[in-house]
Amino acid sequence: MPSARKSALTIRLSGRRILIGLGSLVSLGLVGAGMFAWLGIYNVAASVGHFYVVDRILRFGMENSVKARAPDIVPPDLTDPNLIRLGAAHYYAGCAYCHGSPDTPISPIAHSMLPPPPDLGGVERWKDQELFWLVRNGLKYTGMPAWPGPSRDEEVWAAVAFLRAMPGMNRAQYTRLALGDVEIAAQSGEEIATGEGPSDAVQACARCHGGGAKGPESDLVPVLHGQPADMMVQALRDYAAGRRPSGIMQAATSGLTEREMVQLATYYAGLTPLRPEGAPGETDSRVERLVAEGDAARNIPGCVQCHDNRALPLYPRLAGQSARYLEGRLTAWRAGLRGTSATDAIMAPIAGRLTPEEISRIAQHFARQPAAGESAVR
Amino acid sequence: MRSAAALPFCLALGGCSTVQSALSPAGEQAAQIAVLTWILLGVLGGVLLIVLGALWLAIRGSDNARRLLSADWAVSIGGIAFPAVVLTALLAGGLWLMRPATTDAALTIEVEGRQWWWRVGYVLDDGTRIEAANEIRIPVGQEVDFVLTSSDVIHSFWVPSLGGKLDMIPGRTNRLRLKAERPGIYRGQCAEYCGGPHALMAFEVVALPEADFAAWRQAAGQPVSTVRESGFDVFAAAGCGSCHAIAGTSANGRVGPDLSRVGERRMMAAATMPTSEENIARFIADGQRHKPGNLMPEFDVLTDEQTKTIASYLARLK
Repeated sequence: MPSARKSALTIRLSGRRILIGLGSLVSLGLVGAGMFAWLGIYNVAASVGHFYVVDRILRFGMENSVKARAPDIVPPDLTDPNLIRLGAAHYYAGCAYCHGSPDTPISPIAHSMLPPPPDLGGVERWKDQELFWLVRNGLKYTGMPAWPGPSRDEEVWAAVAFLRAMPGMNRAQYTRLALGDVEIAAQSGEEIATGEGPSDAVQACARCHGGGAKGPESDLVPVLHGQPADMMVQALRDYAAGRRPSGIMQAATSGLTEREMVQLATYYAGLTPLRPEGAPGETDSRVERLVAEGDAARNIPGCVQCHDNRALPLYPRLAGQSARYLEGRLTAWRAGLRGTSATDAIMAPIAGRLTPEEISRIAQHFARQPAAGESAVR
Repeated sequence: MRSAAALPFCLALGGCSTVQSALSPAGEQAAQIAVLTWILLGVLGGVLLIVLGALWLAIRGSDNARRLLSADWAVSIGGIAFPAVVLTALLAGGLWLMRPATTDAALTIEVEGRQWWWRVGYVLDDGTRIEAANEIRIPVGQEVDFVLTSSDVIHSFWVPSLGGKLDMIPGRTNRLRLKAERPGIYRGQCAEYCGGPHALMAFEVVALPEADFAAWRQAAGQPVSTVRESGFDVFAAAGCGSCHAIAGTSANGRVGPDLSRVGERRMMAAATMPTSEENIARFIADGQRHKPGNLMPEFDVLTDEQTKTIASYLARLK
């Protein structure tokens, strides 16, 4: 019979046989992959590079991954000079070595990475949100790091704002933005003699925080002039230890010694507080009350008991502080930012009980107060 | 029936404690509740025996007994008339025992439940208030009216040795009258789950002989601290006064408990640990370990010396 002869010559397909066949193929593949890795067949040298096709595939995959994952959020105003200045100062310290800047070409060492870090003149092809995602999360297998302070999105936006502003910038414009126009007073004789002057470290701080009679370059950066030294030393320690999240400040403080921290804090503590910008303006009795007494029904204590000149030098003084900085800090706490520093444990819950409108008004209130003198208690 | 079976167990538990036990009443209102409890227990115990007897007859009884049990009149009497009479009598008895007071109380104390402590205010005859927290002093043998409010969620005020419990409901004022018959310390506990450290929200009622109470009230009206008291400067500079008030000083916060006479309270942190300089220092630096979830942040920023100075100052406030 024809059908009987045919069945004798062909392999009959059954579920079992398909499974066995597939299983064998998978095992063979795994063994092959294992051998491929074990025998060192693949050349991991950065000097060799990828095949053209592999390179295209990797790039294709990367671009689609970024596009798919970029968050659907509205960016802040990226033309805001305060954002751009803060981003520039961080770019100078954190990004320029690999990506180059109008002042410096890409380092030949960085350029020998695989893939080589791109010149960021070509960031136009990314949307704001995609650029934000890239800067915040970094890229696997490329050497592009993630943002060190993962919950500080407003810092990431500063970097994005600068990336948008950088193309077409000339060298002078860039250095003015990134380094600020700060002249730090010459070292004292003793400092020169001992070689322990704070000037070098201060120069790094001054790029953002200003120095001498000059305030911060950006409203997003706190005024340190005349703040208590104890508080600043503790803040520096918290940043350096990662207890206070900030991609910018963690990077700026990680190399500081305890001695340098004390010197820096002492330098800024000794500066004359800056005059607040703008007139005291109209007084708002509701905010004055909140600042002075708090609101017991909502478990909000008053601000001034910890933050005026009579408080312990462990706490920052808020009079004359930048309104945008204060608002940003309180808003970040309110949104759930939780450092593990001792001050975060105190302020984060309080900030969480304020409304956004109250935060904004409190920040305005303190920004208009003239800063003054020293703590009564040491 | 299930609650009846659990009762012997509850009785055994109640026997362990006299500071917080509805079964060892130390006041008129608690005694009424105890009487009511025993009546309920006796009557319901009798009913339980009758029901069990009927059950036994229905299963094991003679045909005659079973015929009687299933007769219409047996159902009407046993199932309708008997429960109606017994329950009505119990209700009437309960209402009569717990009838509202008609006389004026000798003293009014306002107690506000907060997460997770008690704000206490003694209303004096001249209309002024003595502020306190987490410990309530009352005179023995005098009727005291408690005016109960809440500023956040529902709490419940319950001093089992002195009387029944009453909820503290946001936006509503409840009144509870209590009287202690003999001097002593009676523990109260928040009896309505109010979140987080609800179980660590307790207080003590200290019943003092009338003369002692009068002397204390006289003294409590006067501040014990001034701004010049040693240690107050650190207390103030650490910002403590933005949440806590101390009579006679610039500290006037109302977020946390009043500390004017905190050193004289037997217990602290809403009656969760004995008051001592060491415990106050622990609570300042490490409060979340001792009372997890409480609203006072840990002041790790302070140096040990600063913490100790503040604790020593507070412990002296008596």
